[in-house]
Amino acid sequence: MTGVRRLWPALRDHLILSVGTLFLIAPVLVMLGSSTQSTGALGLDGPGFALGDHAVQNYAEVMTLKAGFTDQISALAMLRNSLIVATGLATLTTLLSLCAAYALVYFRVRWAAAAFWLTMATLLLPLESRFVTTFEVAATLGLVNTHLGMILPALALALGTLFFRQLFLSFPDEYLEAAKLDGAGPVRFFRDFILPLAWRRAGAIFVVSFMIGWHQYLWPLMLSTDESRYTMVRGMHLVGLESGPGMALAVLTALPPFLLVLIFQRYFFQALADTKDAF
Amino acid sequence: MAQVELKQVRKTYPNGAEAIFGVDMHIDSGELIVFVGPSGCGKSTLLRMVAGLESVTSGEILIGDKVINNVSPSERDVAMVFQNYALYPHMSVRGNMSYGLKNRKMPADEIERRITDAARMLKIDQFLDRQPNQLSGGQRQRVAMGRAIVRNPQVFLFDEPLSNLDAKLRVQMRIEIKKLQRRMNVTSIYVTHDQTEAMTLADRLAVINEGRVEQMGVPMELYANPRTLFVASFIGAPQINLIPVRFDGTSLTNGTLKLAGFSDLPTGVDLMLGIRPDVLSIAPEGQLELNVDLVEQHGGENLIYGALLGTKNAAGDAQEICLKGPQSLLPATDDKLRLAFDPAAAFVFRTDTGERLK
Repeated sequence: MTGVRRLWPALRDHLILSVGTLFLIAPVLVMLGSSTQSTGALGLDGPGFALGDHAVQNYAEVMTLKAGFTDQISALAMLRNSLIVATGLATLTTLLSLCAAYALVYFRVRWAAAAFWLTMATLLLPLESRFVTTFEVAATLGLVNTHLGMILPALALALGTLFFRQLFLSFPDEYLEAAKLDGAGPVRFFRDFILPLAWRRAGAIFVVSFMIGWHQYLWPLMLSTDESRYTMVRGMHLVGLESGPGMALAVLTALPPFLLVLIFQRYFFQALADTKDAF
Repeated sequence: MAQVELKQVRKTYPNGAEAIFGVDMHIDSGELIVFVGPSGCGKSTLLRMVAGLESVTSGEILIGDKVINNVSPSERDVAMVFQNYALYPHMSVRGNMSYGLKNRKMPADEIERRITDAARMLKIDQFLDRQPNQLSGGQRQRVAMGRAIVRNPQVFLFDEPLSNLDAKLRVQMRIEIKKLQRRMNVTSIYVTHDQTEAMTLADRLAVINEGRVEQMGVPMELYANPRTLFVASFIGAPQINLIPVRFDGTSLTNGTLKLAGFSDLPTGVDLMLGIRPDVLSIAPEGQLELNVDLVEQHGGENLIYGALLGTKNAAGDAQEICLKGPQSLLPATDDKLRLAFDPAAAFVFRTDTGERLK
């Protein structure tokens, strides 16, 4: 009797979860299925879950792709651009947030609170809302068609600063005081305490900002007129959005962030869920 | 080893709050001084000013012969043990102990020698490669001590180092700290709110109240000869009995209570009669009569609490007092006891200023 009573709620919970999971991964499955169909079949039936027989052909075509006005667009070149932009953005964002939070928490400047809330206010002004001015600035600085131009405007991630700040605030003041008595100045304290105590969280911020950089679309679209600077997301339509190779490129584009999350998910969730992770 | 000197040291926070009002103090080389007082009295602030973790608003602090007001904490040659230990969570015990020495560019073999010595002295040699979160509270305490000892500083600073330990361990560590300090003969300042810790550890203790040193001296001197009402009530466990009284020219009175044997006291002002619980004794012809409320058996001795018949305190109730008696003294609730005391062993304070008159 009790077994059945426990069985039903368990079944119900699993049913809800399964439906939810299916709902979330359905587009991914469609993308995977469609990437194995021929372009003709896709045109006829539209995208679907079914596997076709064009997998090898589609992926081979994408990998050996030569496109664009001067044949400068290849899958590898786009992968390279995407990696540079995403890695650069993630690295710089992590460092910048780390330093900003360090300054806000440990250098007791009078306007620290104001500076922090100003940083938070940038959340209300995403890049998309200031494209025109940002483009003007980028153009003036000669950043059009550069990797740096794609990185800089997206660099200041207020959430990163917030996460690091909350972590640092959870450290007892005595760490700093004991370190002071042990002869550690600001640089040593950063190197010997902040970095080792915050690296898990830094990893999480890195993954998040990597994905932001990787998935950027509108800004690189505006900034890169030179085909040799196209990122994977930016280049997808060149291959044909409703084509088998286009779907194959979409799969390849989704792969690196997916792998990154897969590898680092343990740290990722620990670092963001638990403020005591560092101890 | 060095002497420490505080000259008219004051602390005012930027928001105008005053924490320390002109403290003068001389600490001899090798002496263990305890700052004791209620929380918020400024004792930790004063210690942190010596450490360099708080700035000095005015006045001078000298270690040895050198004014250290503007010397950075790491160059003051002081080592501090914190209340929560402040062990570096990402470093092993060895790493915790060596960090300050490495920063001072000490040769590796010298660091190793000091760590080995300190670890043996503190019996933590088998934990050297553990992380702090793998240690018990008592072991962490020892590591914190070890981190201070390896520095071989001129001055040790202890900021309530035992208050996170359980009662038994606290007594044990208290004894060890005292022994260690004797052996190393390093000038030490120890902050606590626990008067027993203060009494037992101190060579001399400073009772601090509201940012001022109320009295400084050897523990027994403060116990036997308190200068103010505050010192008398803070030092001594169980607490001194305080009975509000007035002087009528010949005796101290409260309600129907009349105590002879006092003279040269001002009339017409509120006074406070202070009698230590161990000065009271059972005597059929005693001056005081007690209505027993409660007996606390502490093993070797009993503490008897009761109302002093005939008296009224500010709240309108009979004044509660406490008497320390032998194991065998076990009165029942509401028994009446007559108690005697020697007026020469009692103190009289002015209630308004706290000043001791007798």
